[in-house]
Amino acid sequence: MPKSLVPTICPYCAAGCGFYIAVEKGRATGIEYMPEHPANEGALCPKGNAALEIIYHQDRLRYPMKRKGEGFVRISWDEALGMVARGIGKAIKEAGPDSVGFLSSSKCTNEENYLMEKLARCLKSRNIDSCARLCHAPSVVGLNRTLGAAGMTNPIPDLANSKCVLVIGSNFAENHPIISRWVHKAKDLGAIVIVADPRLTPTAWFADMLLQLWPGTDVALVNGMIKVIIDEGLIDKEFISLWTKGFESLVDAVKDYTPEKVEEITGVPASDMVMAARAYARSPASAIVYSMGITQHTTGTDNVQALANLALITGQIGKEGSGVLPLRGHNNVQGACDMGALAEFYPGYRKADDPETAKFFSEAWGVDGLPVGRGLTATEMIDSADAGDLKALYIMGEDPANSDPRCLHAAEALFNLDFLVVQDIFMTATAQMADLVLPAAAWAEKDGTFTGTERRVQWAGQAIEPPEEARSDLAIICDVARAMGLRFDYPDAESVLSEINRLVPQYKGITRDRLGLGGITWPCPSTDHPGTPILHSQGFKLPGNRASIVPVQYRPPSESVSPEYPFVLTTGRVVLHHNAGSMTRRSPSLMERSPELFIEINPRDADRLGISEGEVVCVASARGETTAIARLTDKLKEGVVFMPFHFPGTNILTTDARDAEAKIPEYKVAACRVSRRD
Amino acid sequence: MPVYVDINRCIGCRSCEVACKNAHSGRSYVEVKVIDHRASVPVMCHHCEEANCTLACFSGALTKDGARTAFDIHKCTGCGLCAMACPFGVVWTDKTAHKCDLCGGAEIPACVATCPAQALSKDQEVAAKRARARAAVAAVLGGRR
Amino acid sequence: MISLDSTKCIGCCSCSNVCPSKNITREDVGARRIIRYKACQEFCDICVESCPGKALTLAAQGEDVEIAFDMVRCEVCGAPYATEKMLDRIRTSIPADLQVDSTGKSWVGICPMCRRDLERERAARPIIASRGR
Repeated sequence: MPKSLVPTICPYCAAGCGFYIAVEKGRATGIEYMPEHPANEGALCPKGNAALEIIYHQDRLRYPMKRKGEGFVRISWDEALGMVARGIGKAIKEAGPDSVGFLSSSKCTNEENYLMEKLARCLKSRNIDSCARLCHAPSVVGLNRTLGAAGMTNPIPDLANSKCVLVIGSNFAENHPIISRWVHKAKDLGAIVIVADPRLTPTAWFADMLLQLWPGTDVALVNGMIKVIIDEGLIDKEFISLWTKGFESLVDAVKDYTPEKVEEITGVPASDMVMAARAYARSPASAIVYSMGITQHTTGTDNVQALANLALITGQIGKEGSGVLPLRGHNNVQGACDMGALAEFYPGYRKADDPETAKFFSEAWGVDGLPVGRGLTATEMIDSADAGDLKALYIMGEDPANSDPRCLHAAEALFNLDFLVVQDIFMTATAQMADLVLPAAAWAEKDGTFTGTERRVQWAGQAIEPPEEARSDLAIICDVARAMGLRFDYPDAESVLSEINRLVPQYKGITRDRLGLGGITWPCPSTDHPGTPILHSQGFKLPGNRASIVPVQYRPPSESVSPEYPFVLTTGRVVLHHNAGSMTRRSPSLMERSPELFIEINPRDADRLGISEGEVVCVASARGETTAIARLTDKLKEGVVFMPFHFPGTNILTTDARDAEAKIPEYKVAACRVSRRD
Repeated sequence: MPVYVDINRCIGCRSCEVACKNAHSGRSYVEVKVIDHRASVPVMCHHCEEANCTLACFSGALTKDGARTAFDIHKCTGCGLCAMACPFGVVWTDKTAHKCDLCGGAEIPACVATCPAQALSKDQEVAAKRARARAAVAAVLGGRR
Repeated sequence: MISLDSTKCIGCCSCSNVCPSKNITREDVGARRIIRYKACQEFCDICVESCPGKALTLAAQGEDVEIAFDMVRCEVCGAPYATEKMLDRIRTSIPADLQVDSTGKSWVGICPMCRRDLERERAARPIIASRGR
């Protein structure tokens, strides 16, 4: 039977693993490994292995539907597009373009993200954002400010060249499993691994040094390390004087973060912190790996900046085996940001509040009067909908009713909208609330590029047709644009990519014909440029070619424990599921191995509450309550509990307190109580 | 001959289970569990030299084929004696016996190919080699840590 | 019709698995296994051929028959997992030195799930020690 193998990129996390989809007679029949891929060398985590299980799922949306009472009725595409035009058009007419919001998808292609933000801005709305807001917005803000670029500075395989890997706020063994391969290689070559996390995850198994800090105390820990490095003369004086500015203010800012003070705040023994600081500073090539444990805080931007400071004063950047490595979540959240699906940036990180930006794109797009100014972020759109100011919202491939914090409130806010249109592959909780649901193609059913966490842009080919009347998001956005009187003539993803090549400097040389195995890493300024795996080796794209050292001070998390809510709830992920779970909770191989919501609790805490292993317990916070299965484990210190957010329920409890600048919610710290169900 | 596990590398992701299941029409012959929240161990057929399962099997379904313990499903009645005879509990029975078949002699078994952490290998020495390499590096670095 | 020699039956799963007409059923309730043979009209001999104990023969006439076993409980977890006669057969069909682990302890009285867990714990002990508390 003739079988074709279509190269694709995994739709789950941002590691960007490559594999082949086997297609026989127009049907995806299996997965074949891609040993030639530079990042994963053929390997796949369980989600990648199960990736095809959602393609033919019975829940796939197949045709447009409009709300009728409590349910939905099928309508034609013509009627659906008319409804979108009227719904959005009415809001614009009655309350202005800023009464409409657009939420783009970190799971859709670069081309689709580009078109979504173009649609928003051509309709003169400033309110375009994506779920990067919920995960790495602090990295976008903090790293752009300190280093001049927001992305993992070194590629994943380069970790094998590290001699010291500082893992802080990342559980890569579960959430980016392929990273394990390269950290193991580094260890086999003598690297020291330091893991800083409140929870002893499988990533902690890699650790030569374990820093089990209290949730939300990262700035204290990092400032403490910086002070040790300064006091012991372990800074890289030459690097600081050639490539940075602001060092003197940092010396002053960290002077009170003595090891004892840091131990008091973080719970990490002073001597452990000192040893870790020395190991990081002394090694010839040290890398910092970080993720949600750093970003999802009201101090997220500060946390990121503290890490950048640490790397800058030790010169651990711009060379092999070093760097600042934010591990991004979704398969294309990096791309969504690069394409400007962000409230504060147009494509290529041009600032939205700069009139020159609007001018540039006005000329490029042939559209006058593009909006200037920062729009509502995803989290602020919820506030605005709640207040009745945001009237209409177009959501593509996102499920805020499950993934937003304080999600019951988020759902209420969405209900308050005059018009909600949701474009997705499944009837998510968010889609359930829509006035109009549009069926989209899954990743294997369309062409386009995805940019992984390494800034590696890769082409994924269409393997099969979407079901029934489902269409690629690209086609739908173009149809919506046309229905609203705009000229969006893009017959395919390649035509959009050509426009991206012209207008996004980092993507200039990343043309379709150059995208083979392994893709190209941006920035790629011309078609004969090989791409830039390692950033900052020639300085920083900031004034004077210098990085900015931005001192930060420790501030405690927004919510503290109380007699009523005595536990610190921290949330996160597990290896078998992905984010809000709309795909992984529909995959039998994954569900049979991880079927339900659980809460991890220290056995001594459980004992005091009379809770035993496997029991159903109630978990409540100031925002609501839910039930979960208790798992007793000493991975957490007493007083801290953990819940994964892949199952509905966890985000009922989380707080929507935000980082003031990046607007990311503090998913990692909330106060809760746990009790037996009866 | 069997797939060997470098437990030091296993991250407990269970990708081997899913890959094995995909390669065998829905049944997995490897099982991963976390021990004590501190280590994760996949277990599967050892393809023992002196294979108890082949001695217990009365129908000739389980036999030694060189280094590999071979299984012929057509001869199996699902009695369950092999499962009782296996010291490691890695023969499952349910209608018929089920166990690792080394992916029918494929050059690289699915579990080995898919493991993100390279914990599985056909090389019996891989764990020991890596440990020796780490020790050598530590010696060269002179304990400078 | 099937004739059962109950002295030879070891209470395994063969006949109930292979009967094409589902005349033979096996029910495990708690620690008790009951195998029931309905009077059958077929004269295939699949169950006869598949019996490890050679307990079954074909007979011209007969009635419904059943046989019950108290299952052995695992020494570690207490779950019932096999009949005593099946385990006896294991003890006689494999060499004595292959019935014990490296410390000389027999694993025959332990269920397959616990055998897997024991192997894991044994193999992971040095790793767990190095990962410390």
